[in-house]
Amino acid sequence: MSSANERIQALINNNKVLVFMKGNRAIPMCGFSATVVQVLDRLGAVYETVDVLEDPEIREGVKAFSNWPTIPQVYIDGKFIGGCDIIRDMYQRGELEPLVRATAAAS
Amino acid sequence: MTAEEIRAKIEQALPGSNVQVRDTTGGGDHFEALVTAVQFTGKSMVEQHRMVYSILGQAMAGPIHALALRTSVPPT
Repeated sequence: MSSANERIQALINNNKVLVFMKGNRAIPMCGFSATVVQVLDRLGAVYETVDVLEDPEIREGVKAFSNWPTIPQVYIDGKFIGGCDIIRDMYQRGELEPLVRATAAAS
Repeated sequence: MTAEEIRAKIEQALPGSNVQVRDTTGGGDHFEALVTAVQFTGKSMVEQHRMVYSILGQAMAGPIHALALRTSVPPT
């Protein structure tokens, strides 16, 4: 468990915008993951993805790490932002774009 | 799991809340829920969703494969 936590923490530290998802951005394996990728692409975000289907340790570990029972999960600047519903809501309210822009400007 | 079971569970844990749950595929595993509750007052969206997930507990890891969730505070 702790090694999963360390791996997750390192991934989050090394990527300003990180998505734990099912599948990848080209071929999302779940509608919720697909929505997150679509929103981030629409905002022109620079982001990395981790396919939890390829990594059972991360798949279970990230749920405990964030105290969040579902995938996808989005982290920006080391902070857990939310799952698909929250990302879509924030996008629709115009709250996601400034977060994403701030990370692009800083990198 | 039925939409009604999910609704009852949430309403019981959040007395006075308004809960609507729909089984989106009819298969008893993909759901959509709208929850309006005063108990969400002052909490972030992440915290509001966590409250609902924790009410559903182990069901989130088993019978419920997917739950699209919208939470809000009732207008005052």
